[in-house]
Amino acid sequence: MNGSQSILLLSAFLFSTGLLIVFIKRNAIMILLGIELMFNSANLNLIAFNTSRPQLPDGQIFALFIIIVAVCEAAVGIAIILKAYHYYHSAIPDQVSELKEKN
Amino acid sequence: MTAHLAQDSIVLYAALAALLLPLLSFAFSFLVFNRYSWIISIIAPVLLFLCFLSACFVLLHVSKEMPFHFQMSWFTVGDNEITWGLLLDTRATLMMVVVSSISLLVHLYSAGYMAGDSNIQRYFAMLGFFTFSMMGIVMADSLLMLFCFWELVGFSSYQLIGFWNERPSAAAAATKAFIVNRIGDAGFLVGILILWTYSGSLTIQEMSIADIPSFYLTVAGICIFSGVIGKSAQFPLFTWLPDAMQGPTPVSALIHAATMVAAGVFLLVRIYFLFTPDVLMLIAIVGAITSIIGAIGALLQFDIKKILAYSTISQLGLMIMGIGAGNSLASELHLYTHAFFKAGLFLCAGSIIHVLNQASREKTLDVQDIRKMGGLAKRMPVTYLAFLIMAAGLAGIPLSAGFLSKDAILTGLLQGEIIFLIIGFGISGLTVIYTIRLLWFTFHAKDSLPQFIQKEQIGDPAPIMKIITLTLAAASLWLMISWNPIDFNGWTSQYAQGKILINSSVITVASAIMILLISLAAYLYFRDKTLSEKTSDIMLNNFGFDSLYNKIVVMPMLKLSNRIQTLDQKWIDGLLHLTAYSQVAIAHFMSWWDRSVIDGSVNGLAIVAKGTGSITRSFSSGKIQTYILWSMLGLIIFIVWIMF
Amino acid sequence: MNWATIIFYSFIIFAAVSALSMLLVKNVFYAALLLIACLLSVAGIFVLGNAEFLAATQIMIYAGGVLVLIIFGLMLTAKISGKPLHVGHQNVIPGSMVALAFFSVLIYSYANLILAIPSGIQQGGNSVNKIGILLMTDFVLPFEVSGILLLTSLIGAAITASSFSSKK
Repeated sequence: MNGSQSILLLSAFLFSTGLLIVFIKRNAIMILLGIELMFNSANLNLIAFNTSRPQLPDGQIFALFIIIVAVCEAAVGIAIILKAYHYYHSAIPDQVSELKEKN
Repeated sequence: MTAHLAQDSIVLYAALAALLLPLLSFAFSFLVFNRYSWIISIIAPVLLFLCFLSACFVLLHVSKEMPFHFQMSWFTVGDNEITWGLLLDTRATLMMVVVSSISLLVHLYSAGYMAGDSNIQRYFAMLGFFTFSMMGIVMADSLLMLFCFWELVGFSSYQLIGFWNERPSAAAAATKAFIVNRIGDAGFLVGILILWTYSGSLTIQEMSIADIPSFYLTVAGICIFSGVIGKSAQFPLFTWLPDAMQGPTPVSALIHAATMVAAGVFLLVRIYFLFTPDVLMLIAIVGAITSIIGAIGALLQFDIKKILAYSTISQLGLMIMGIGAGNSLASELHLYTHAFFKAGLFLCAGSIIHVLNQASREKTLDVQDIRKMGGLAKRMPVTYLAFLIMAAGLAGIPLSAGFLSKDAILTGLLQGEIIFLIIGFGISGLTVIYTIRLLWFTFHAKDSLPQFIQKEQIGDPAPIMKIITLTLAAASLWLMISWNPIDFNGWTSQYAQGKILINSSVITVASAIMILLISLAAYLYFRDKTLSEKTSDIMLNNFGFDSLYNKIVVMPMLKLSNRIQTLDQKWIDGLLHLTAYSQVAIAHFMSWWDRSVIDGSVNGLAIVAKGTGSITRSFSSGKIQTYILWSMLGLIIFIVWIMF
Repeated sequence: MNWATIIFYSFIIFAAVSALSMLLVKNVFYAALLLIACLLSVAGIFVLGNAEFLAATQIMIYAGGVLVLIIFGLMLTAKISGKPLHVGHQNVIPGSMVALAFFSVLIYSYANLILAIPSGIQQGGNSVNKIGILLMTDFVLPFEVSGILLLTSLIGAAITASSFSSKK
């Protein structure tokens, strides 16, 4: 297996790991970490496909923009988490379940 | 009112009077107050005297050629009309006179014997009822009516035997008599039904001209004879008669000497024309066996009344043997003479018992045991005289009526098998022996009375009792039958119906000599003997027939009824319980079913709906990660679907 | 087997291992640090894939900025009692099944892919120059828009995180 394919493999692995972290962990910050991991796997994917055409750095630019978006999202996410923590006094997302019907 | 061959309506009224006056006496005794109960002992004999007069009146107006027959319709069943009526031929009228006269004498005697008894009203009531039933048997023209009165006689004898009902032995004896009679009566009824089926009628006159196939005639004859076996105490249904001595002595005189047991013989004579030769042979055999048993029993007993009871059995057997193997007219004659002297013997025994009872007062003494008597001839002369005359009649000493009638029977037996003639002579001999035994030990033997009695003044009983016994003694003399003391073809047999017997002088002389010789021998034999104190218990207790019947019949019957009772309790009641319980169980089951299954299914539907709802609601649990999970799952499925 | 290949594969393995460890550790702080390690190794992979500018940007912004921010938030929202940074797991089985499903779908779609990729590492020239020119000419619109995005998210995050008296 050559380099690109192994990068693709890695990116698939990172993406599923990030997804699993989002499902499993009982902490809001961990969810953010998982999301970051998923972003990175997308970046890896772009770079892997970009290696077949080294003349045009389209992949890189796209990945750049992804990083910008990820930064914004992380900032806003932290702000929200802080606010929620301030209100519910807990960082566990399951505690924030006021949408659930009281049966 | 259809009266066939009616003479006068006066005869009818007289006959009805003779029938119904005793019933009136029965009714009267319930009207009498307790305080004046002695009145009934005057009223009842008066009514019976009137009855006797009516019977004599009827006797004088009915002759041999023209019997009186009266018939009325009783009820109708479908096409069959059942009638009742009176058939008064000479046989019936003679018997009517005999019955009414003995009943009258017993009534008078009882006035003295039962004086002071607290239940005297019931006594005279049942005595009157008995006489009424007996007259009914005698006068009945149809077998059905006769059977009704037959049963009534059985019932009133049950009442009278168990008169002293505080004594358990009396009650047991009465029950035994009734039940044994009923066994015979069952056969009697079957015989009546067979005859009715094949002759189409129940009346005796119509039956005599009907044509009945001989097989059924034989069967019917045997069945009717079984009724006679029960009523007249023949073998094997004789065990009730010795026990029936538990009743008062006048009752024994009336019922068991003169009338009730004679009803069987009377019935046989009445329907003699119905019997085929096979049945007659059976009758003769049964009669022979019975008379032998009775004679041996009388020879071994120690109780006065029991000796007389066995003697009655023996004489009845002789009469029935005479009907079966000899001449029915002779048996009829013997029936009449036996009625008088046996009743008289019983009444004399009653006098002795009465006197000894009064003398012993509180001290216990078996007043009926002849081993404890003796020497009474000097103390009770009048009773002794009466007893002597009647004992002569029983034994058949010449110059008595008993000799004549016994002679007639023996003559009649000449025309049958020779064995029966030999048995007849044997019975006569045994009769003499036991009579002399009884006579000797009661009156003549060394005085064996207990000490306290001997000091008392024992004498003859009250005048009324003396007179009655003497009257009966007089009736036992030869004059009752004919003017000629040695020829039985006298005025009685001329009057009565039936085949006339020619007097056989051989028999007469032979029997006379035999009887005199035996009586002399017996006198010499008994003169120096004292009776032994014990005999085997079997002999004393009805030859063991009682225990035999007990084992064969009574015990299995009781066991069977016990079984049936447990069967009823366990199974039938158990079945009822089972159905009740199962019904309750079914009800419980239904309620359970309703509760759990039907309600449960409705509840289950609700639970399923609720569960489904909560399951689907769990998607929106309010947890962020669960939302993400489910949406990713949906996305995966979408991608996979797109790809493939 | 030259050095470049070995380093390349070791970066790959390092990234995978650190991502896996992120899954398995119970301490959130350790997870954040492991993420930094993962990001650094990803940056190394970027370098080996002719994307030097991206690698530098990754290290500076991602590892240096975003993760620090995350660690700040981590510390501010830690539990008061017990083990402050300890987290538990939930929904393990359904989650792992879905993740496995995703992984297999992705692998399956790569399996038939034939990339005309020259193996090894290629020299592609100075890419920073090219990226700069492209940003101002071909990609100027996303560039400006991303600037606006950054501005708005900055303002929004600042306002959100500040402690106004709540209008609840």
